[in-house]
Amino acid sequence: MDKKKFLPTLAFLIPLALYPILISFNNYFLNVGTFIVIYATIVAAWNIICGFAGQLDLGAGAYMGMGIFITGILLLWWNITPLIGIIVGGLATAALGFVIGYPTFRFGVREVWYALSSLALVSILQKLFLVWEQVAGPVERRLPYFSGEWYLMRFYNFSVYFYMSLALLIITLLLNVKIRYSKIGYYLLAIRENEEAAEMLGVDVRKYKLLALLIYSFIVGLTGGIFVLIAGYYHPSLFDPWVSIQTAILGIVGGLGAIYGAPLTALIILGIQEYLRFTLGGIVQGLHLIVYAVILILVVLFKPEGLSEVFRSIYKKAVALKAK
Amino acid sequence: MEPIQLVQSVIFGIIMGGIYALVAMGLALVFGVMNVINFAHGDFVMLAMYITYFLSLMLTLDPILVPLITIPMFFVLGIGVYMGTLHKIVRGPALSQIAVTVGLMVLLRNVTLALWRAEPKAIQYTAVAGYFHVGPFIFPTSRLFGAVVSILTLVALHLFLTRTKLGLAIRATAEDADAASLFGVNVRNVYAFTFGLGTGLIALAGALIMTFQEVNPLSGLLYGLLSWVIVAMGGLGGVVGVFFSSIILAIAESIGITFWDPRAREIIIYLIFIILLWVRPTGLFAKR
Repeated sequence: MDKKKFLPTLAFLIPLALYPILISFNNYFLNVGTFIVIYATIVAAWNIICGFAGQLDLGAGAYMGMGIFITGILLLWWNITPLIGIIVGGLATAALGFVIGYPTFRFGVREVWYALSSLALVSILQKLFLVWEQVAGPVERRLPYFSGEWYLMRFYNFSVYFYMSLALLIITLLLNVKIRYSKIGYYLLAIRENEEAAEMLGVDVRKYKLLALLIYSFIVGLTGGIFVLIAGYYHPSLFDPWVSIQTAILGIVGGLGAIYGAPLTALIILGIQEYLRFTLGGIVQGLHLIVYAVILILVVLFKPEGLSEVFRSIYKKAVALKAK
Repeated sequence: MEPIQLVQSVIFGIIMGGIYALVAMGLALVFGVMNVINFAHGDFVMLAMYITYFLSLMLTLDPILVPLITIPMFFVLGIGVYMGTLHKIVRGPALSQIAVTVGLMVLLRNVTLALWRAEPKAIQYTAVAGYFHVGPFIFPTSRLFGAVVSILTLVALHLFLTRTKLGLAIRATAEDADAASLFGVNVRNVYAFTFGLGTGLIALAGALIMTFQEVNPLSGLLYGLLSWVIVAMGGLGGVVGVFFSSIILAIAESIGITFWDPRAREIIIYLIFIILLWVRPTGLFAKR
């Protein structure tokens, strides 16, 4: 495969890898940066299921919550190191994706109904863990306090988490490129464009949709595992429908199927949002999200192909200038 | 499982079902006629609840009278929202409709958050507060009142859709918008009117719910998903389908709350939804 296709990933890697040094390892900025990178990862993973395969998935909150719970429970109950716990959490989340996804695709649940049933899954799991008091219940279950031991993975300085999320983001981006230019990628795009036509041409629609869902839920499960180490507790409210909705918003505003556009949009918009939060949010609660909603509506109505088009034209102009 | 308890929870279910039917009717109308996917439906319910709270406080008015003001207000709001955002994408891809209505949802949520803060709000007085006994069974007055008003409204709506010329135009547009426009129906106006009508119904539903329930900026999600469950169950079976689906769903919910756990409300409703989509994607009352 053409090595050049991986090049833009470096453009992500270098400035982000320098970020902790630029802010001289300030914990607040590291915390914010880690959350933003985690979101960018989820958006990049979401691109596989929605951008490529065209299934509007709103289950990110459920999959992230699952990763949070499995990693947290393994550490708290059986004292299993998160190094293993995160991976097990990702696998368990993919298993959940399979259990839900198999019948969903088998019975041909599509479009708005797929979106709604995946959003319903978030609420179901949230309430299930709320009612199931032996495991979670309404109390916050706290992980061991910061000790700096590698076994517990609870560090006072957040730079480890930042680099873990960054590594996951880079892997997800590489995986995106790899899938996009492989046979699977073309099958998924065919499914997105026209499911019946793809099936007629011999694409196993159910199998590839399920595969996309498994990859996506696995990665989102991993982000949940990193999240619980930063948050330091788990609680049913971490099955958060807002994660699902925000992921979809960022993915759509960024541009469907845009491998770099969507995560880049996530980095920019969430950065601005965080800035607005401590400037405007202190004046009027919720104002920063009002701005956000207006941007979303305007982009979809007037720039339906997403912000990635804007980035692409800037990139092309930059290349043209350099050629002169 | 005591039989009296079971009958009581079925009674509660039927009463709540009557109210849910009105909540879902606006969505069923918009989805059925315009084929528009409205994710912000629940948040319009939430907005209606807040405005009912606000007006009843400002004007010292009983919340059951507030709809006299809010129904025309929401009718105009609905037409405005349709003209401003949805008109452009009414024939567009499902994804754009979902994205725009998700935008509206975030907007409504945070506008109410900015105006009224996150603490739950409840009304202070209503003439229909309290409950009464019939034999061993309890009837909460406010919910029963809500169910009766809701059923009367649905009957009126059904008559409007089946007996009037405008109702015929709406049904014709739902059946086939292009054919309807060839027969002289102004589809654009029918769409705007339908969206306004749906939003007007929400104003009434919100006021009725407000008589017995508190509201916070996140209340919208439950009412939105609940309405979608009812629409999925009712298929496109019109007012009757929506009504019976609501009753069935509310009875299941009520039995689950009584005998399992009050916090399990969402689990029951959404599990029914997911399994229904698997086994009967056309709904229980689809005509075709």
